[in-house]
Amino acid sequence: METPTNPKQRSLVTGLVILGLIIVIFFGLRTVRAFREFRGHRPAPPFASEHIETDVSLIRDWMTIPFISKMYHVPSSILFEALEIQPHKNREKSLRQLNEEYYPQAEGIVLEKVKATILANQPQPTPVIPDTPVVP
Amino acid sequence: MSDFLLTQVINYGAPVFAILLFLGALGVPIGASVLVIAAGAFSQQGILDWPLAAFLGLVGVVIGDALSFGIGYYAKDWVDNRFGKSPAWRSAKESFEARAGLAIYLTRFLITALAVPINLIAGGSGIKFRRFMVYDSLGEFTWIILYGGLGYLFGSQWELVSEFVSNFGGLILGLAILGIGIWLARRRRRSIENTNEKVPEA
Repeated sequence: METPTNPKQRSLVTGLVILGLIIVIFFGLRTVRAFREFRGHRPAPPFASEHIETDVSLIRDWMTIPFISKMYHVPSSILFEALEIQPHKNREKSLRQLNEEYYPQAEGIVLEKVKATILANQPQPTPVIPDTPVVP
Repeated sequence: MSDFLLTQVINYGAPVFAILLFLGALGVPIGASVLVIAAGAFSQQGILDWPLAAFLGLVGVVIGDALSFGIGYYAKDWVDNRFGKSPAWRSAKESFEARAGLAIYLTRFLITALAVPINLIAGGSGIKFRRFMVYDSLGEFTWIILYGGLGYLFGSQWELVSEFVSNFGGLILGLAILGIGIWLARRRRRSIENTNEKVPEA
């Protein structure tokens, strides 16, 4: 039977406390940093299905052309045209896969081209009509 | 989480999402919580049908949990033969059984890193399968609605939420380990004090 002064037990308890402290400090700092970044952003209005994304920095290389097209409301045909790639058999490929297949010598070029095309072709925001008449 | 998996979810939708959650529940490291947040965001962007994705995801993860419970159940004899005579193991088993419901529920969404170990322990501890399923389903439902809801709310900015939630999960895990360590240390100290009191003075 194990006695309360069992050195194995003592090592286990000490180990758990030290491990717990290390994890708390490590993730605590990361949580604070993530919270600071997170706090600076506001969510889109709830249930705003017509919300059009405009920030191209959110485009990632795991995304596909149809996905980006839907996200930014830019027709996928324009994006494929800009990349000089046929949509057939390429609709389900990520930007990274397209880059590796069609532009193996130029890393990241597909991502950059897509961002530039989105910026050039985004739908114009609806102009806001002023409430009061403009006095000439 | 692998970017490849995210690409597959946006390509093939809810069924792939459900399969991935099933694998995650079996212990495959796919970053299931991040996937649920992403799925919520994809729903807000009109890529996934949220009620369908949430339902299939819930079915997938609960089946995965049931299977890992089963693994624990069938390993029970081996564990009993190996550790059954140890008073420490018996005490840990009793403590777990007394708080099993809470442990199962909380590890579904708060300390997700411990979900699979808890499934195995629950299977091996003699807890009834029906009881496990009730707490498991409730916990997984909370997980999908809470994490998916955050993804839905933040839409294309879901990566920020995911970063925060992942680190927060790690922090909670650390606090749990620290808490268990402190609890064991106090229990050990009490035990030593009791032993010293029983020893007659010379």
